[in-house]
Amino acid sequence: MRTSAANSHKARRSLLWRLHIDVPLLLGLLALMAFSLLVVYSAGGESLALVERQVVRFGAGLVAMFMLAQVSPRTLKEWAPLFFVVGIGFLLAVLFFGESSKGAQRWINIGVRFQPSEIMKLAVPIMVASYFADKALPPSFKHLLISLVLVFTPMILIMLQPDLGTSLLIAASGLFVIFFAGLRWRYILGAGLIGVIMAPIMWYFVMHDYQKGRVLTFLNPESDPLGSGYHIIQSQIAIGSGGIYGKGWLNGTQSQLEFLPERHTDFIFAVLGEEFGLVGIILLLALYLFVIWRGLYISLQGQDTFSRLLGAALTLTFFVYLFVNIGMVSGLLPVVGLPLPLISYGGTSIVTLMASFGILMSIQTHRRLHSA
Amino acid sequence: MLKKREATKDVGRETSIFYIRCVIALIIVVGLMGFLLAREIKLQVLEHDKYQTQSENNRIQVRPIAPVRGLIYDQTGKLLAQNRSIFALEVVPEQVDNMADTVMRLKQIFSISDEQIEKFLEQIKFRPKFNSYAIKTNLTEQEVATFSINQHFFPGVSVEARLERYYPYGATLVHVLGRMGAITEDDLIRMDERDVANNREIGTTRQRYAATGKMGKLGLERYYEDILHGDVGSEKVETDARGRVVRVLERKEPVTGKDLHLYLNLALQQKITQSMQEKGVRGAVVAVDPATGGVLAMVSQPAYDPNMFTGGISSKEYQKLLTPERPLYNRAVQGTYPPASTIKPHLAFLGLKEGVITPSTRIRDPGWFSLPNNNHRYRDWKAWGHGKTVDVTQAIVESCDTFFYDLSVRLGINQIYEGMRQFGFGQKTGIDIVEEKVGIMPSREWKKSTRKEPWYNGDTVNIGIGQGFWTVTPLQLANATAVLANDGIRYNLQLVKEFAEANRFEANTPVMAYHQIDTSDGSWLDLVKNSMKEVTEPPRGTARTAFEGAEYTVAGKTGTAQVKSIAQDEEYDATKIAEKFHDNALFIGYAPFKRPKIALAVMMENAGGGGSNAAPLAREIMDFYLLEVLQINQQSEDGGEESNSGDTN
Repeated sequence: MRTSAANSHKARRSLLWRLHIDVPLLLGLLALMAFSLLVVYSAGGESLALVERQVVRFGAGLVAMFMLAQVSPRTLKEWAPLFFVVGIGFLLAVLFFGESSKGAQRWINIGVRFQPSEIMKLAVPIMVASYFADKALPPSFKHLLISLVLVFTPMILIMLQPDLGTSLLIAASGLFVIFFAGLRWRYILGAGLIGVIMAPIMWYFVMHDYQKGRVLTFLNPESDPLGSGYHIIQSQIAIGSGGIYGKGWLNGTQSQLEFLPERHTDFIFAVLGEEFGLVGIILLLALYLFVIWRGLYISLQGQDTFSRLLGAALTLTFFVYLFVNIGMVSGLLPVVGLPLPLISYGGTSIVTLMASFGILMSIQTHRRLHSA
Repeated sequence: MLKKREATKDVGRETSIFYIRCVIALIIVVGLMGFLLAREIKLQVLEHDKYQTQSENNRIQVRPIAPVRGLIYDQTGKLLAQNRSIFALEVVPEQVDNMADTVMRLKQIFSISDEQIEKFLEQIKFRPKFNSYAIKTNLTEQEVATFSINQHFFPGVSVEARLERYYPYGATLVHVLGRMGAITEDDLIRMDERDVANNREIGTTRQRYAATGKMGKLGLERYYEDILHGDVGSEKVETDARGRVVRVLERKEPVTGKDLHLYLNLALQQKITQSMQEKGVRGAVVAVDPATGGVLAMVSQPAYDPNMFTGGISSKEYQKLLTPERPLYNRAVQGTYPPASTIKPHLAFLGLKEGVITPSTRIRDPGWFSLPNNNHRYRDWKAWGHGKTVDVTQAIVESCDTFFYDLSVRLGINQIYEGMRQFGFGQKTGIDIVEEKVGIMPSREWKKSTRKEPWYNGDTVNIGIGQGFWTVTPLQLANATAVLANDGIRYNLQLVKEFAEANRFEANTPVMAYHQIDTSDGSWLDLVKNSMKEVTEPPRGTARTAFEGAEYTVAGKTGTAQVKSIAQDEEYDATKIAEKFHDNALFIGYAPFKRPKIALAVMMENAGGGGSNAAPLAREIMDFYLLEVLQINQQSEDGGEESNSGDTN
């Protein structure tokens, strides 16, 4: 009895393994998507058309995930340099021939219109992990320097577009690889110190006025209640008035009355907080934590250095996305244009995120095939 | 030393570092999530009351402001569709402590029916409590005054004014202007689909309608919805806890929709409506200006008052409109009828043009026609025939069926199909009304695909007298008449002459596409037109009685369409057949003959013969339009005509 049950379980598992699907991770992602559709329906003014388009995006994301899961980590590692160089090429192309929208030059049109910075979200960690794959770890100073060049070149190119938020996130994903490779603690502390020193320089020479405005508003939202502080105040009212159990689905007064701008995109967390309350937020955080735990678990089991570094870095990057978004909507961080991963309506980021989960699934399911 | 370290890879150490770093990462993740959670607990539990109050206060609100809908004028500047200020009693459920009590007390002041109350309570049950809902619309001045005295007894209830569409001429123009109706869920979905189709952010079009409850559902109101509607404005206001506006912080004015100016002449429209009502007929009349394709009048009878729909029609009232007379049905654009003999001039022109017949072709008319090797007799309406032999002019003037049976078989369905499409049959006229139907211009392919049967010669015979499969809309018939009046030019029919922005003189004229039928040998067309002139003249014309003593010259053609097919050996006897199977009476014509100002088609359901019933109505219409509206004097028109015809000879 016991054995046959175990066997059938194994048989089912092996079928999904042959398809390179990690079931726990998939279930976690699907739960998040289902949650997203509920909130998008409410935040979008009960528009079914909006939900339909979101379903289409999720479909595309699942396809991207499934396709990347088929690519073995070994192949990914071999192609990393080419992928990276092409990505850099696109970034340069954007600077020279890119299409502008809302004051930033972020898009390129080769038949389809896309943001090359999206590619770099994957290309940078893959490249850095691939670089460290055969090196002795923890990295020597020389290897560290070279890896930093790999991280900062695309970061600077994206910063020039300008897209500070994305460039910092991409840098973070590369730096996480270095962190997991065993970067010495004294370097980490040193970098923190440099960061503190650099902050004023960034403020005066790098940051744009609108970015400074966001930081100032963040520090004192009441100073501009109808301008840039409006978002923060309104989203905090929305979340706060939700209470423990929320006002109920479709019943958020703040969000439904259109107090909240961008309520179905970047500020969707406020709608969720208002309508589902603390209970809903705990559920969301639990789902996120489950996905992150599974990602780190898969990375720990990774059969080579490349898989482990890449898997862990991608997982941690996912966390940064949700942390920055929730922190921003809750008034803990300045406002940056960043969607809540897998929940916000729209954005090409869904496909990129799902692709990174595809890589995690590949790491998980290609493991045994090689060691056996 | 350094080099040596670089070369060796210590897998054990690497793994343990990675393991430790993962644990550290997880600890950081959990810690930061805890931090986020703490923040949410602070907002939602510890400071909940503060934010709850702020949320209730809703200090700053953005309110959409509905734009004013564009107006519609006739060609003389008479206002056909206007906006009227109406007052509604509105309730914000959230601000009412005891709804049942409030409704009870409101009922004591106003006459609100139980049905209205039920509808209102049903409506608020599943909708957000913070919105405002009308419990009674169309308040009288008296009621508004009464409420304003008692307002302080009714927190959460207010009287709101808004503009609503009003049609001063009611039923007379409903089939032209259409009507308004509440925006439905389907409408909203259609807006989203349009956004997708136009590559716009979803919700862009909806936003334009944020403050608009109604939209055009039929007729011009629907066709020109985008132009008439205008653009939504907005108002950022500070409100108190009761939702009353304290001050306006910012205001973006709405943009008024553009006005429409029609070719339509209100007086003519009214005259036709009145005449049809006096005669008590169902049917349609379409009159166009041949020189422009502009529609001068478009009447479909019976009709209904579109104002009934503006405030939301009750199901009881709506049921009343679902009579066998079908007043909701726009016969002018949606009704498809056999054209009967009215298309004989067009067929005659085609026969001459294609060289199938000549002006001197004469055929024998025993009173029937039969195909070779077939003894089925296709009967002429005149049982004993129109004389020994008949030529094309006589065939048109006396509406000789036998001649056209013969002609249609000679032409064949392929040539007829191509030729008649040139006159606009089987196609939309391009009129600015969405509901327009195309009718059927039959062809071999049409029959194969819809009836799964081959085309028979007998089918062609019936086509020759505008019966059989051929159906047209009154609009197409008027259009085809204008093509003759216009020496072969076919315009797209248009109701709207121009759109104008309020208080501005610039106007955008809709594009007038046109087609020119090949009339290279003008004499064929002249022959047809002169024959049509004889239709309205003694001694033999089928419409001679109707146009007796007319002060202008008319070209016309009568038609009588069988609604029920009569068996071979039966006689048509109106007295024995149910009214709905009586013949349809038709007439097409234009006048004045030389410089046409009006071309029209009259279609009267089950009214009997075209000459005796439809032609007299056409006479009344032409008399009114030419003599009273245009005040054409016979001297200048027909006098000029004679000298002109002298020149052509």
